[in-house]
Amino acid sequence: MTEISTEVLVIGSGAGGAVTASRLARAGCDVVVVEEGPWLDADDVEPFSLEEMVAKYRHRGLSAALGSPGIAFAEGRCVGGSTEINSGLYRRLPADLAEEWRTAYRISDFDASSLDHFADLVELDVSVTSLPGPAPESSEILARGAAALGWREVEFSRVFRYEQSGRGVKQTMSRTFVPRAVEAGAQIIPDCRVDRLLRDGDRIVGARCTRTAGPAGEQLLIRAEHVFVCAGAIQSPALLQRSGIRSRIGRGLKFHPTVKVAARFTRALDHEEVPVHRVTEFSPYLTIGGSASRRGHVALALADSSADYQDALEHWTDVVVYYAAIRSEGSGRVLAIPGLKAPLVTYSMTDADMSRLTRGVVHLGELLFAAGAVELYPGIAGAGIARDPRDLVAWWDALDRTRGDLLTVHLTSTIRMGEERALTGADSFGRVWGYRNLRVNDAALLPDAPGVNPQAAIMTIATRNAEEFLAVSRG
Amino acid sequence: MLGFERRVVEGLATTPDPARREAIVGYVDGALQAMPQHLRAGVVAESLLLGVFPTLRGTMGRSSVITRDDLERWNRSRIGVVRQYARLFGSLVLFADEELPAEGMT
Repeated sequence: MTEISTEVLVIGSGAGGAVTASRLARAGCDVVVVEEGPWLDADDVEPFSLEEMVAKYRHRGLSAALGSPGIAFAEGRCVGGSTEINSGLYRRLPADLAEEWRTAYRISDFDASSLDHFADLVELDVSVTSLPGPAPESSEILARGAAALGWREVEFSRVFRYEQSGRGVKQTMSRTFVPRAVEAGAQIIPDCRVDRLLRDGDRIVGARCTRTAGPAGEQLLIRAEHVFVCAGAIQSPALLQRSGIRSRIGRGLKFHPTVKVAARFTRALDHEEVPVHRVTEFSPYLTIGGSASRRGHVALALADSSADYQDALEHWTDVVVYYAAIRSEGSGRVLAIPGLKAPLVTYSMTDADMSRLTRGVVHLGELLFAAGAVELYPGIAGAGIARDPRDLVAWWDALDRTRGDLLTVHLTSTIRMGEERALTGADSFGRVWGYRNLRVNDAALLPDAPGVNPQAAIMTIATRNAEEFLAVSRG
Repeated sequence: MLGFERRVVEGLATTPDPARREAIVGYVDGALQAMPQHLRAGVVAESLLLGVFPTLRGTMGRSSVITRDDLERWNRSRIGVVRQYARLFGSLVLFADEELPAEGMT
């Protein structure tokens, strides 16, 4: 078994881990980052393609939370984590939501001005921009539909940098914080799964790992003075549980249950970019937006309606995929089961969630018709094709626990942060209760799904917690 | 990939091109292998159960080939997990069929 030692071990290289590693390495810490997935060139595969699913998604995208209904979800599994596969939308944590969390979970130093300071630091390191020109037609459709109905909408910023040619390059972690961490001396170990953390009383002394590529099965022991677990809201609690750390770990999973609708228009639309407009009229509990709409995505969205979609598929360039997503009252659980590599994930939607999601899909239909759609194919088996706003009436009763095709990407809240011990798995800065040198620093800390893409919140909180670690450990 | 699962994929694939059909089978096989073990175990159990009926059909002198009618019936089943099974295979084959490059992939 190979053995190495480091001052700080960071497990995971996504929005939490890469930010943590970069800040600590730049402050002079000796940092090793372990990532289960491969280290790929960010330009190796086309965004949202089948090749990307094979190369960068955990389980090739075939993860699901069990429950009624079951809900499919996606996680990145590569250097850069889920920032390599998401749409790159960037929205700071809303101040009122931060205040709500601060109060409910008694999170120290979590006021809006403090968070703004750390968000400013993040935005110094990553390019947060609006589109340099007008938004693509697929995105303007959302703005046009909202305007027709008198609803609020907003063009979201993205973590993109625009080249002189006009080409937009998503500022994923593998393009930003990971190289900065490496420049500052951090060592990145890809293709390496952490099997379990090694405990000695109230300290973690290291991690036992297995190589997942190269000399497959090779064991690696990494000794560390401090450990940051940043593997995301599913893998972080699973690792802690595998290591025998279970108190308030893995409960309270939150995400944004989502239903898609494929909308057909009378002319060909763009399909290269994910729409940047979001309808915020019903925020934070309900958001309407657009999805990746390559030919394969269009085909899947059409098929989910279980209607006859062949003609629409033949004219797939006229079709774009949109979605309605909710903040959910329900919650789920992550449970590591001995002998199984992947944890069991469950989620329970409440009746109010189902009702809210139904309202969201109907509102989405209203908006798309107002924007000029001529056919709508909802991700609800048996709901039928809507060709007129009056057809949407049937959707109210169509979405139930058995017929909806639900999915999500924003997973949070399995190791909540705060001083309210009965509700949290870690303190206000991510220190896992009961352990002196073990911290979590990723989406798992967020007390709830924020109703917007959580990447900005994750990076902001990761920066805040890394700075607090430096202040405490280095004076 | 179980033999029955391969027959399901072959029943769903629409392309007549043998190389492309093989590429689709290869993609679905890889996806099934990559699934979380507990989900994969559920799919295997369903494959074994659903595979009984075409086999019985074969023993009665009728075709044991998985037909589009079989797949449509599973899609409309009142049993949720059967519908999910049909949707899983339907989605995998459809996405591969639409997204695989012309030369296929393994």
